Formats: sequence, structure tokens, C-alpha cells
Amino acid sequence: MDGRKVCSAVGGEEIAMMESSEVLFKIFGLGVTAEVVTMWGIIGVIAVICLIATGRMKERPGRFQNLIETGVEYLQNFFHGILGEKSRRYFPFLSTLFIFIIFSNYSGLIPGAGVFRYFKAPTSSFSVTLGLGIVTFLGLQYYAIRVGVGHFFKRFITPAAFMLPLLLLDEIIKPASLAMRLFGNIFGEETVTEELYGLLPIGAPALMMGLSLLFCAIQAVVFTMLTAIYLDEATELEE
Amino acid sequence: MEKAIIAIAAAIAIAVSTIFPAIAQGKTASKAMESIARQPDAAKDIRSTLIISMALIEALTIYGLLIALMLVSKV
Repeated sequence: MDGRKVCSAVGGEEIAMMESSEVLFKIFGLGVTAEVVTMWGIIGVIAVICLIATGRMKERPGRFQNLIETGVEYLQNFFHGILGEKSRRYFPFLSTLFIFIIFSNYSGLIPGAGVFRYFKAPTSSFSVTLGLGIVTFLGLQYYAIRVGVGHFFKRFITPAAFMLPLLLLDEIIKPASLAMRLFGNIFGEETVTEELYGLLPIGAPALMMGLSLLFCAIQAVVFTMLTAIYLDEATELEE
Repeated sequence: MEKAIIAIAAAIAIAVSTIFPAIAQGKTASKAMESIARQPDAAKDIRSTLIISMALIEALTIYGLLIALMLVSKV
């Protein structure tokens, strides 16, 4: 456990469930950690891919544009299957979440992740996944209000008024469990890979990394799929 | 002595919260496979439902893992 300080103060009490990441440098008094730097890198990579793909769009797409278009179409069909006709309106929100999460998950599999000081899978930190959870929470509330203010409040007392406390709790528990699931899975994977490396440096980690290839994609799918289902529930108009 | 008890508690937390979701996931997967075998046309729908239910079951394990990690930090 070299260089790993298991301590972080959350709410005054020491809850050291997540390894605190060391602050690399400070910008305007805000500490910048390895996760933040990696996220900048991911944002840069996605931006460059988008710029290249949409820079010279043609009627008859080239190979690269074709690939990206196929991906976007696949995502559209995926969300259409869950949300139906509504999916067009929520597509930017959901696909942004999906693309960011899948890139962050896979960034943990690139050689050097977790070894270099500036490079670490962002979703293996609870702060990042909790941030994603909060974004999901705000997104759900925003889209529910967009449907109608009356609908927004009525949502909490359907089917019956005494359900109010439960439904209010539900609104908080949903994003929290999303965040915990993503963190637990990615952090677990990284830890298992690390422990296997300790046991048998050659060969053994590769097994887990092979499985991680599958799990990373599944976790991104699960996160966005559940978000889409919650969104479907939140914006459902009852006749 | 107290530390030993905490360590054992962490072990039990993760063990129990792994055993029962594992049973549940096994049941889910076997049922899903049965239904895919019976109705191969509905495989797509069944698969997405399967992934969601697996994720919801897995959340319980993750809660156990979090509790175990919190306990381990107290040792």
C-alpha cells in the first residue's frame, strides 16, 4: 500500500472508504487531483474526435465519419427503445453522460493509469461518481419541471398522498445508488487488478483486465440505462 | 481485541452481502436464459431487463463493500 493514504474527512467524521487522492497543484485555491487532470484529458480527446468527425462533413461520409455516425445512431436507437418518442429531447443529456462515463472507465485500462501521478481513472474516485450522481439528480428535476410545474409536484403524491416521504427519499436514493454502483464497480476492479499484480506480476492482472473490458462497458450502459428509465418515470404524463 | 472484532465484522459484512446477491443473480440469469431459449425473438428485451435487474441486485453488494471499507479503515 505504498503512497496510498486511506484517510479523508467527510462531514467531520473520518470515513475512509475512498482513498483520498493527493492534491497535485492548486488553481485559484482549488486543489487539482489526478482525476481532474485525467478528466481534462478525456474532455480534450472527446473534443478532438468531435472536431475531426464534424470538421469536413460530406454527403457521402468517409470511413471515420461513418464510424461516428454509426455510433450515434446506435445510441439513438438504444435510448429510443427505452424512452420512445421522447428520446429525441433527452438524447444530448443521456449520450453525454454515456460517452463521458465509458471514456473514464476505459481510461483506467490504459497502461500507466494509477502509476503516473497525473493519470488515474476518474470514476474510481467517489467524488467524481457522486458528482455524476448530482448531475443526474439535477437533470431529472429540471426535465420534470420542464414538463410542467403542476406535474412536478403531482409526481410526489401519486398514487397516494401518504407516499410523499417515500417518494421524496426515492429521489435522493436513486442518484446516490447510481453513484455508489459506478464507484464500487470501478474501484473494485482497480483494487482487484492491483492485488493480483502483487500476487503474480506477469499474467494475472491481464485476466482481470480482460474482464474489466466487459465490466467497464456494462457499467456505463447500466448508469445511462437507469438514468433513462428514471427520466421516463419522471416525465411520464398520466392521462 | 476491539480491532480484531472490527476486522471480523468487515469480513462478515462483505461475505454475507456477496453470498445472497450471488444467489439472486444466479436465479435471475438462469430464468433469463430459460426464457431466451423458449422465445429467442424476445432475446433483446430480456437482455436489457436482465442487465437492469442484475445492476439493481449488484447495488446491494456494493453497499456491503462500502460498509466493509468503512470498517477496514477503523482497524
